Amino acid sequence: MAARVWAYVIATMNFVGLDPSAVGSCVMSTETKEDTAARFERDVTPFLHSLYGGALRMTRNPADAEDLVQEATLKAFAAFGSFTEGTNLKAWLFRILTNTYINQYRKKQRVPLQTSADELTDGQLNEVGESLGMRSAEAEAMAKLADGEIIDALAVLPEDFRMAVYLVDIEGFSYKEAAEIMDTPVGTVMSRLSRGRKQLRELLREYATERGFISQVVTS
Amino acid sequence: MSCGNPHAVACVQIHLWMWIYLDNELEPESSHQVVHHLEECPPCAEVFTAERIIQTRIRQCRETVQTPEGLHTRIFTQIQQTISGE
Repeated sequence: MAARVWAYVIATMNFVGLDPSAVGSCVMSTETKEDTAARFERDVTPFLHSLYGGALRMTRNPADAEDLVQEATLKAFAAFGSFTEGTNLKAWLFRILTNTYINQYRKKQRVPLQTSADELTDGQLNEVGESLGMRSAEAEAMAKLADGEIIDALAVLPEDFRMAVYLVDIEGFSYKEAAEIMDTPVGTVMSRLSRGRKQLRELLREYATERGFISQVVTS
Repeated sequence: MSCGNPHAVACVQIHLWMWIYLDNELEPESSHQVVHHLEECPPCAEVFTAERIIQTRIRQCRETVQTPEGLHTRIFTQIQQTISGE
């Protein structure tokens, strides 16, 4: 491998938070780079749909989402030698996707950093507890909304909340996995999730009311 | 919100645990307390049912995202170019 490529691999590994000394293990293996590329394609392909969905939630723009997935995948390939087979590839890929987004696209889009105070106060927690009086008839009315309307509502949420809801509710990551992907403590994931879900439900309730689904329920 | 009956664990605590429980992240002992509470408190049980409906509905939206045609080819062609360009 040319020195230029080595520098790129090591820079990428530092970038995704991996130990560059692990590069040695991929040199020791007898796998050719063509084999590695084939293995990478085989292993990563099943997650492309999820990665694109994640990128779309981050960028909210199909063209940027596609560029982001492409760039993150390239970084993942450069660091693939350090990925331990049998561990969670999907979470590893999402971590790289998130880092790529934070380092490049958020700057490019000049989107200000979220200034949300992550930790919930006791007062807010009580408020969360009290606001959850959703009735099943109301939930059924909200569930009648089209997929596009629900996705639109999700897109309105502040970025940190949106990502927490996306990772846990749509992609099914555990709190611990979401915390690793977003590089935050589990408690922060939980508070973002709690506030994001609350806002999302308020929006869905508004949409369902606008569509006349809720009033039908109330008057019936 | 409350059914008015006394519970071993208060309704407000059960509500604070709700999402953690529904996400299967609540520790077993607390989960057992939630199950027990829901059996004897219909208002809380209804809120949990409502939340489960919304969660299920949101998860279904995962399938609506269409991956752009040719994205797979573009990505792996670029990777091939990377290794052949070394």
